[in-house]
Amino acid sequence: MKNRQLQELESRLRRERIIKLFAFLSMVFIPLFVLFTVDNLLASFVFAFFANYLLGPFVNLLERRGLNRNLAILIPFAATGALVAFGFYEILPRLAQQALSLEAKLPSYQVDLGNLVASTSHRFSAFANMYHVDINETVSSWLMAQTAHLSSALPSALSGSLTVLLLAPIFSYFMLADGRGVSKQLLTLVPNNLFEMALNLSHQLNEQMGAFIRARFLEAAIVGIVVWLGLQISGFPYASLLGLFAGITNLIPYLGPLIGAVPAILIVLISPDAAITDSTGLNLLILTSIYFAAQLVDIIFVIPLLVAKIVNLHPVTVIIVIIIGSKLMGILGMVISIPVASASKLTVQAFYDHILEFRG
Amino acid sequence: MNYLWDNLFRKSKKDEEVRSRLASNILFKDLTSKELRFVEQIVHVRSYHAGEHVFRQGEVGVGMYMIMSGRVEIFIDDADPVKETSAEIFITQLLANDFFGELSLVEENGRRTASAICRDETVLIGFFKPDLMEIVKRSPIVGIKILFRLAEVLGRRLKETTEKVSDLRGSIRELRTPPPTTSVDEGRP
Repeated sequence: MKNRQLQELESRLRRERIIKLFAFLSMVFIPLFVLFTVDNLLASFVFAFFANYLLGPFVNLLERRGLNRNLAILIPFAATGALVAFGFYEILPRLAQQALSLEAKLPSYQVDLGNLVASTSHRFSAFANMYHVDINETVSSWLMAQTAHLSSALPSALSGSLTVLLLAPIFSYFMLADGRGVSKQLLTLVPNNLFEMALNLSHQLNEQMGAFIRARFLEAAIVGIVVWLGLQISGFPYASLLGLFAGITNLIPYLGPLIGAVPAILIVLISPDAAITDSTGLNLLILTSIYFAAQLVDIIFVIPLLVAKIVNLHPVTVIIVIIIGSKLMGILGMVISIPVASASKLTVQAFYDHILEFRG
Repeated sequence: MNYLWDNLFRKSKKDEEVRSRLASNILFKDLTSKELRFVEQIVHVRSYHAGEHVFRQGEVGVGMYMIMSGRVEIFIDDADPVKETSAEIFITQLLANDFFGELSLVEENGRRTASAICRDETVLIGFFKPDLMEIVKRSPIVGIKILFRLAEVLGRRLKETTEKVSDLRGSIRELRTPPPTTSVDEGRP
């Protein structure tokens, strides 16, 4: 009799657990599906996610000082807005000036690039002729195709960026204000037998993600500043623009530092200004040293002290997940591949510990 | 008949009940009503069926439970590895306003030392280590008040355990000492 009651209870609990788990997974995966399918939503969400973790500590600090949570969120938002406005007012004209001067010189750079390609083509003509390839023609047609693609894609890219710029702050505000409530509501759907594990896991993921995002941004800022400082001291043009570019591209693992150095190296190679191109190659050496120094600071100090401890992944795993990320989602995929892999590892580990190790 | 306003006020009534249960618990005794409202937003209310486990002995525990309604029994699993048998030993029965599992709030990956099973349809308020850490992060004053009370509870439990151990030691000593043997000649003139 008692055994029958126990069996009934077990089957009832199993049924309830399955329903709850299904509801929980639906609540997680349906929004994820929407995020991945609707245009601009994923990028807005990723930006909001980053902003949430970057501003979170300031919001907590203000809340600790006795401020109401909503007010504590509004202050860093207003400060960031003011900073962006100041940036637009102060830094943007300088960046725009540098961009304009770069744009003005682009035709000559194009000619020089053509010459560079022509001379390279001439040098390798014997080799190229073997395969009947006209390097000059190939590069020119590729450049033409890229330019045509750029001009057609530019309007949609601009409208997309505008949507992201509008949506990301709104998402970020609600993440800071209601994020905990949403996560608590989601946890109510977790079956009782998995609840403590799920709560602990969500806390660990939150902590790890926050620490990782803050570390990566600090790393990007340090690299950007080192590059900007180096270029400024050596009197290289477009220092702010190139520093900013190096900082942003540094967020892309492995390839980022190389991509960040490309514009500066191209300028040295093809600039019509003799002082910059410098036939002795000294400028190229200085430039390479600056980017190399920035990477040394990053590899020796920043990564071991800030990033490596947070993400416990094997270097080979890191390379593989970056390749997968780039294949699936391009540059955005490369940026988010490491935190996603790290979070997945933590989740699998928690389930393994809970289900396999204990229940054997 | 249920009116619309019944549903409208249901949540706030439940919140109020949670708050009053928290206020009567020793851990949250020193908190003001505003601080209690803050904690109430953080804790988790969970419902269990009669016969359902809250947690099992050996599982990693991350926090404590307060009983809002219902009945919970605590058991330990007395496994005999030689005979390959196991028996559940009843430890105690807990009722509304009681709480259990508080040691997990301060342990690092601590395992549950006993199992908790609900004997009625039970509603529990869960308060876990991540919740405590969030409180400390967002309002350190509230965190300190709770931690002081938690230290007091753990200290009291330690004292009780020490007393029990010394009682048991006394009992063992009594069992080991042979009873005084009476001599056959004793009492003879």
